Amino acid sequence: MTDLVMEAKHVFKMYGENIKKAEKIDTEPCIDKKHLVEAVKDVSLQIRKGDIKLIFGPSGSGKSTFLRCMAMLEIPDKGEIYLGNECLTAPGVDLNKARARIGFVFQHIYLFRHLTALGNVELALRQVLKLPKEEARKRALAALAEVKVTDCIHKFPSQMSGGQAQRVGIARAIARNPDIILLDEPTSALDPELTGEVIDTLRDLANEGMTMLIVSHEMPFAREVAEEMIFYDEGSVVETGPPLLFFNAPNTDRAKKFMTRIINRTTREY
Amino acid sequence: MFEFLLNPMYQTWIIQGLFLTVSITLFGVLLGLGLGTLLAIGDIYGKKPIKAVIAVYVELFRGSPLFVQLLLAVYTVPAIFQIQVDHAFLAFLVFGLNSAGYQKGYMKGAMETILNDQMQAGQSVGMSRIQTLRHIILPQAYRIVIPSWTNEFCSLTKSTATLGYLGFMDLVGAGLSIKGGTYEILPVWIVIGAIYLLWITGFTKLMDMIYERKRIPGVELAMQS
Repeated sequence: MTDLVMEAKHVFKMYGENIKKAEKIDTEPCIDKKHLVEAVKDVSLQIRKGDIKLIFGPSGSGKSTFLRCMAMLEIPDKGEIYLGNECLTAPGVDLNKARARIGFVFQHIYLFRHLTALGNVELALRQVLKLPKEEARKRALAALAEVKVTDCIHKFPSQMSGGQAQRVGIARAIARNPDIILLDEPTSALDPELTGEVIDTLRDLANEGMTMLIVSHEMPFAREVAEEMIFYDEGSVVETGPPLLFFNAPNTDRAKKFMTRIINRTTREY
Repeated sequence: MFEFLLNPMYQTWIIQGLFLTVSITLFGVLLGLGLGTLLAIGDIYGKKPIKAVIAVYVELFRGSPLFVQLLLAVYTVPAIFQIQVDHAFLAFLVFGLNSAGYQKGYMKGAMETILNDQMQAGQSVGMSRIQTLRHIILPQAYRIVIPSWTNEFCSLTKSTATLGYLGFMDLVGAGLSIKGGTYEILPVWIVIGAIYLLWITGFTKLMDMIYERKRIPGVELAMQS
């Protein structure tokens, strides 16, 4: 059990105008629940060292919310998140320290707009890991080299292509040597060509043994690198299994339907 | 007409006046920026009571004439607190506090356009909220806010013109004194007005240059999106 990198235990997260109202509603079931979204309902997940797991499912089903809960960028309403042996949802945990050990890649990239690629990667090394200037620069350059964007290290985010920017985003996430990286639809804001660049980068990371939890619909990539695929719908895990299961014959109807649609789309695109 | 400009005493008055006007405005606008930033942060992150206090503060300083605030400060603060305070210092405080009321709005607006995604990104790499504010949010917000800040500077400089009528030796005060000595009216105010114009235009151009130099591709786009 020691190789457990991250674990989610019965995580819940609800969105609404007013959560207090929500609690009231629970006791009065006849009231309209429309203004509430249960983005995460009792989701549990274990990730071991070197695992690559892929979460997929319809948009709006709460995948991203769950991923943000894993990184404690959003605090779950209920349930526990573990990083190694440390329970992040326990009171008094230094979340900044925990987040420093988790890499996160955003769908819309979210680079620091006023910093160059190098500055983006360097900042956390200096401010969070408190590395001396030289050392931080060396590691930032190494991370940028790893994602193959050495040609734009002095460019600002708005001067890069989406693919370059997202690879810088990945470099920013991996530069701290995190225990795991969480990727929230890293390619869905990119066109197919740029998607290819980013997927290549992710494949490299996978081959190096990086532990990853990815929300993505890149099925060929999933098939190639994922050990496990997780079909997520309406706030909960519907079905879990190796890629082959999903590509051949998923057990649940919902997964079957979704796979058919997505495979049709994918073959059209590539 | 303009012979008074050759008089060394009047020259000294004008220079003194310019010095007071410039220093009070600059200190005032900087105090306003610092305090305005704190107020903006408090308004974004503070609990309800803090937000309420900030709202009252802003309404007080925005909702009453600066001239009245100056009068109140100069005539009541020493009496109420039984202290001797330099009037110029009080004036500087009033301008700073007043400007903070406006600058809070500019800063909050600038911060809110970048806050959501940049704060998440900052926290995702392990930085605390304060670190993210310091290294990510504020550097971008300050760049965005420079034009509004320049406006605030212009308007504050001109607001200091009331100081002369309260007995201060600012530019207007110098004008009043020279007028008293020379009985020239139009030429004195032409000169005083021209000095304001030169100073404000010069400083504004400087700020425009700084804005252009500090401009980072993509950062100003944040305002539009």
